[in-house]
Amino acid sequence: MSHLLTDEPGSRILLMGNEAIARGALEAGVNVAAGYPGTPSSEIIETLSKVARDRGLYVEWSANEKVAMEVAAAASFAGLRSLCVMKQNGVNVGSDFLLHLGLTGTRGGMVLVPCDDPGALSSINEGESRQFARLLELPLLEPGDFQELKDMIVWAFQLSEEIRNLVFVRSVTRLSHASGNVVLGPLPGETRKARFKHRGFILDEMEGVVASMPMEYRHRRQQEKLKQAVERFESSPFNTYTGPEHPELVVITSSACHLYSREAIHLLGVEDRVGLLKLGTTFPLPPVFMEKHLGLTDRFLVVEEVIPFLEENVKILAQELAPRIGPKTIMGKRDGRLPTVGELNPDLVVEALASLVEVPYESAPEAYVKRGQELMFFGAPNRELTFCPGCPHRASFWSIHNALELDGRDGFVCGDIGCYTLAVLPTGFSTLKTLHAMGSGTGVASGFGKLGRFGMDQPVVSVCGDSTFFHAAMPALINAIHHGSDITMVVLDNSGTAMTGFQPHPGLDVDALGHKAPAISIEDVCRSLGAQVRVCDPFDLETTQATLLELLDRAGVKVLILRQICGLSPEKKRHKKYEVAVNPEVCLGEACGCNRLCTRIFRCPGLIWDKRAGKARVDEVLGTGCGVFASICAKGAIEKVENREVTG
Amino acid sequence: MKEMKLSFDPYNLIIAGVGGQGNVLASRVVGNMLSRKGFTVTIGETFGGSQRGGSVMSHLRVSSESSFSPQIPKGRAHLVLGLEPAETIRVLAAYGNPDVLALCNLRPIHPVQVISGELDYPDLEDAKGWVKELSRKAWFLNATDTALEMGLPILGNIIMIGAMAALGELPLEREDFERAVSLTMPTDRISINLEAFDRGREMVEAA
Amino acid sequence: MRIFGPNELKADVQDKGLCVGCGACVNLCPYFKNHQGKTVMLFPCTLEKGRCHAYCPKTEVDYTELSQARWKRPYDASPLGTHDGVVMARAGEGRVEGRVQAGGTVSALTAFALREGMIEEAVLTNREGLVPVPQMVGDETGIYGCATSKYTAAPTLSEVNRAAREGIRNVGVVATPCQATALALMRENPLDREDFVDPVSLVIGLFCTWALDTRKLIPFLESRVDVSRIQWMDIPPPPAEVFVLDLGNEEIQIPLDEIRALVPRGCLLCPDMTSEWADVSVGVLEGEPEWNTLIVRTEKGRALVDKAVEAGSIVVKEMPAANLEHLRTAALNKKKRAVARAREENLLNNTDEGERAAFRMDPSVVEELTGS
Repeated sequence: MSHLLTDEPGSRILLMGNEAIARGALEAGVNVAAGYPGTPSSEIIETLSKVARDRGLYVEWSANEKVAMEVAAAASFAGLRSLCVMKQNGVNVGSDFLLHLGLTGTRGGMVLVPCDDPGALSSINEGESRQFARLLELPLLEPGDFQELKDMIVWAFQLSEEIRNLVFVRSVTRLSHASGNVVLGPLPGETRKARFKHRGFILDEMEGVVASMPMEYRHRRQQEKLKQAVERFESSPFNTYTGPEHPELVVITSSACHLYSREAIHLLGVEDRVGLLKLGTTFPLPPVFMEKHLGLTDRFLVVEEVIPFLEENVKILAQELAPRIGPKTIMGKRDGRLPTVGELNPDLVVEALASLVEVPYESAPEAYVKRGQELMFFGAPNRELTFCPGCPHRASFWSIHNALELDGRDGFVCGDIGCYTLAVLPTGFSTLKTLHAMGSGTGVASGFGKLGRFGMDQPVVSVCGDSTFFHAAMPALINAIHHGSDITMVVLDNSGTAMTGFQPHPGLDVDALGHKAPAISIEDVCRSLGAQVRVCDPFDLETTQATLLELLDRAGVKVLILRQICGLSPEKKRHKKYEVAVNPEVCLGEACGCNRLCTRIFRCPGLIWDKRAGKARVDEVLGTGCGVFASICAKGAIEKVENREVTG
Repeated sequence: MKEMKLSFDPYNLIIAGVGGQGNVLASRVVGNMLSRKGFTVTIGETFGGSQRGGSVMSHLRVSSESSFSPQIPKGRAHLVLGLEPAETIRVLAAYGNPDVLALCNLRPIHPVQVISGELDYPDLEDAKGWVKELSRKAWFLNATDTALEMGLPILGNIIMIGAMAALGELPLEREDFERAVSLTMPTDRISINLEAFDRGREMVEAA
Repeated sequence: MRIFGPNELKADVQDKGLCVGCGACVNLCPYFKNHQGKTVMLFPCTLEKGRCHAYCPKTEVDYTELSQARWKRPYDASPLGTHDGVVMARAGEGRVEGRVQAGGTVSALTAFALREGMIEEAVLTNREGLVPVPQMVGDETGIYGCATSKYTAAPTLSEVNRAAREGIRNVGVVATPCQATALALMRENPLDREDFVDPVSLVIGLFCTWALDTRKLIPFLESRVDVSRIQWMDIPPPPAEVFVLDLGNEEIQIPLDEIRALVPRGCLLCPDMTSEWADVSVGVLEGEPEWNTLIVRTEKGRALVDKAVEAGSIVVKEMPAANLEHLRTAALNKKKRAVARAREENLLNNTDEGERAAFRMDPSVVEELTGS
């Protein structure tokens, strides 16, 4: 049994942040959970899918975030409790639906958990989902530690059912992907029955039509609901003040920054001088609670990630309250004390706070820090991100790169988000030249492919992953075909949402619950749309390259599916297809005219350059046995022998 | 439960390695062992890009009082468990101080720019010297080699955990480890993991 | 010779549009490849000196040095290069199967050399559609498939490099002037490699005024005819001034002026019309469409021609003096144009630091070619 189902209220266990969120949903009696994979959010749905059978839940990985919201909303309309989960980008994808949902309201409790990624630790942007709460006029909660990750989900479901609208609970990487101790609450026994009531009076929010019109009425109702939420926020247990009665300065903070701020105050030893106002309900701010605490002192430092959202809302409120509490100095990001780019950490907060309280701080003795920096230069060479050993993407981009070079018309590749994003780096031979949102590679390519009339004669290639194909690339493909754009779309099909941990998607024959599901064939979809379709194994470099060259020469929309399962996938990880070794008799090393093509250019971590021997060598720990090295070496020095036995 | 005293509170441990080395799993094992003993444990880790050859750190904060920031402040590590030599140096340089302890696996994983010839990987003897220079005391193990002898390279991490337990810095008993693995690992893997734990302990005791 | 590496080769030849795609740099390493007539460098290579650069006929060719090495005498820019005789020639009666260009002398000589064991393999140029592709043939029947003029620059030498790498020896090559130049450079083992073995034992050179860029020719023709119908291409000897396409049931003539726009820039820097570095050279003969001009240059070439005549494989006649004079004039004019152009583009005899030349000749020879 999963430790997540531990039914001992009051017991304290170590949970990853995302597990704590999942546990919170279970304690709230969630019925339906839907999401789209994306670091740092994926483990929430994954965890729930593992206990779905035990808890009688329906859990799905939806085709994209908008659909996930719609699926979760349907459960709410039928009176169930539903959770919707995604990374920060996903809220953008679904925001169109949310704008309407805010007006129609919800019935059963519905909570949306966006996991933001300040510093883009595993993203290509650090966009904030908090702004959506303000934009869409929906309440926002921000848990400040592991216990709150769980508890606030429970509270959010209650709130949602009180105000009959969606509630945001925003997490961040440093909470979702961290672990801490959580005291468990009870798991509810009863489950709900689903029924969509739609025969009531048109304005009846619980039994009428779920529609955003009449707009003015619904909009007013939405704002009333928000006010109702603010009233509840006034007494929320998640807004706390710790510190002296008459502080010199109060740090106002939320989310993971709460932990950094607390640590910073502790590191400087200024607990008796500086107060800590930790806010869990950050939009809208509760004015009475805020008035009380803004009255504590005249100087405030707002510590948050990433852009000054909280700071601006505090400033608005302080301005409104000024006649009663007087003018306040509110510092933070807008005055440059804290950076508006990247994530924060205890050190950055210490730095900002130290100058305000005039306490000197040294992380380690100056001489040590200096020597450390020197030794890091010599002793810790930079680790550029790279495709994993045996990654099919490396082979795919090798062929794409070579085909474009051979084609010789200065062609380029448009891409989007996935492991293959790394193809902007040398690991993908710097092949990717535009990089935007999911599915954007093909959309941007569709546009480039129409520029022939303006003299553009470069071949245009787009790439997307198999999961991305279903998520957002299909409309772009349809657009390209309908408008007669000249593009070659390469679907890098590694049979799973590999980047985020192999979640199933509509192209696979299994769903999030492990049930058999109809697999939607990418090639059939493309063919039926009218594209010229080819399928290759990217590990067959020669065929892939020849096929690409042929497709590049043709007009219209061509789709090449490069299908090879991800090297990290559980089924592949244990089995090496080939035993691969460098024959030192044949490898000429530095003397060869190849100029170390295998390690200097192909640079798979599975092959290392033995400096002493002056030859290449396969790393027995990292090599995956994909056999591609054998096709890279012009000298034929890398030999592969097929492994007979297949391990399970 | 909380009778055991920590030498520092919070005790700050960093497990440093490279994506794909099993860093996250190692931090979970250690975290669970300590959490079950009643300590408040916070683990901060960076993954996502981590399987793709980048540096990976897990920050463990162990306290008998409260939870801490998932990021250890610079210069405040008490013990660095390095699964890879260059990463040990990298983490010491940022989070170390003259009193830090270091436990270092000597198996290098070459960054891709070293493989390509753009950068140099330090000579191992130099690297050892630098780890010593940046720590109060350092121990070096050929954990991956031993794990390869045992037939499973990933056991290198368990050997390192065994070695760390032998240092006596944190209350990590063999029984705690046994309980932790029996809860998280398939039954057929338990005995080999225990063997790895013991091998690590012996390696430090012999050193 | 000044020998550099792949980066200089790319900068000086590929990037300046001087590459004619002869294939001399292809198949030596994994970096240079030819696709549809164009040679590209797939990835940057950091070697400071490479055979790719040393073999290239479009950069740093020192004619004085090459002449010393090959002919043991200085390069004097004589119009037809070093030779031992010029005759008119054609294939012997019934000696050539299928359709051949002009007198069929090239096919006949190649077939004879194979038959007599003077060579074991012949590297020729075939075409796939309009794309020229090198082909190695080991018997006569293979020759006639390749027997027509391509008029497009072909990576024929890539096949020679492949043969060398695979240990094939005793190869005959039918080469254009640039290719014959590259072969001459190649055979000098310019990098003094210990493992060097010369795989080539005979070079039959072709006359060439210029070639056409395959990548430009294909769309040019596609816009005028259904290219799949093209059975034959020909540029009849002067004064015709047309490019002839035989589509089976009709013949299309395109004025040469239109075609000249498709000539790679590298051809305009070529001072060699008659494949001066070959063993024998063969071309058309003005006013005599059924005959070829045949220049014999080396002892090996002499032996081949004498034996072929003796065996009836080819027929030779004395060359009329007027034809010889026209040929000399045409060849000299090509030299003059090339030297003038190279000088104009600052690609001749550069000696300044960092400056490289397309080719080098003795200043007195340059003076002679540009003076009058």
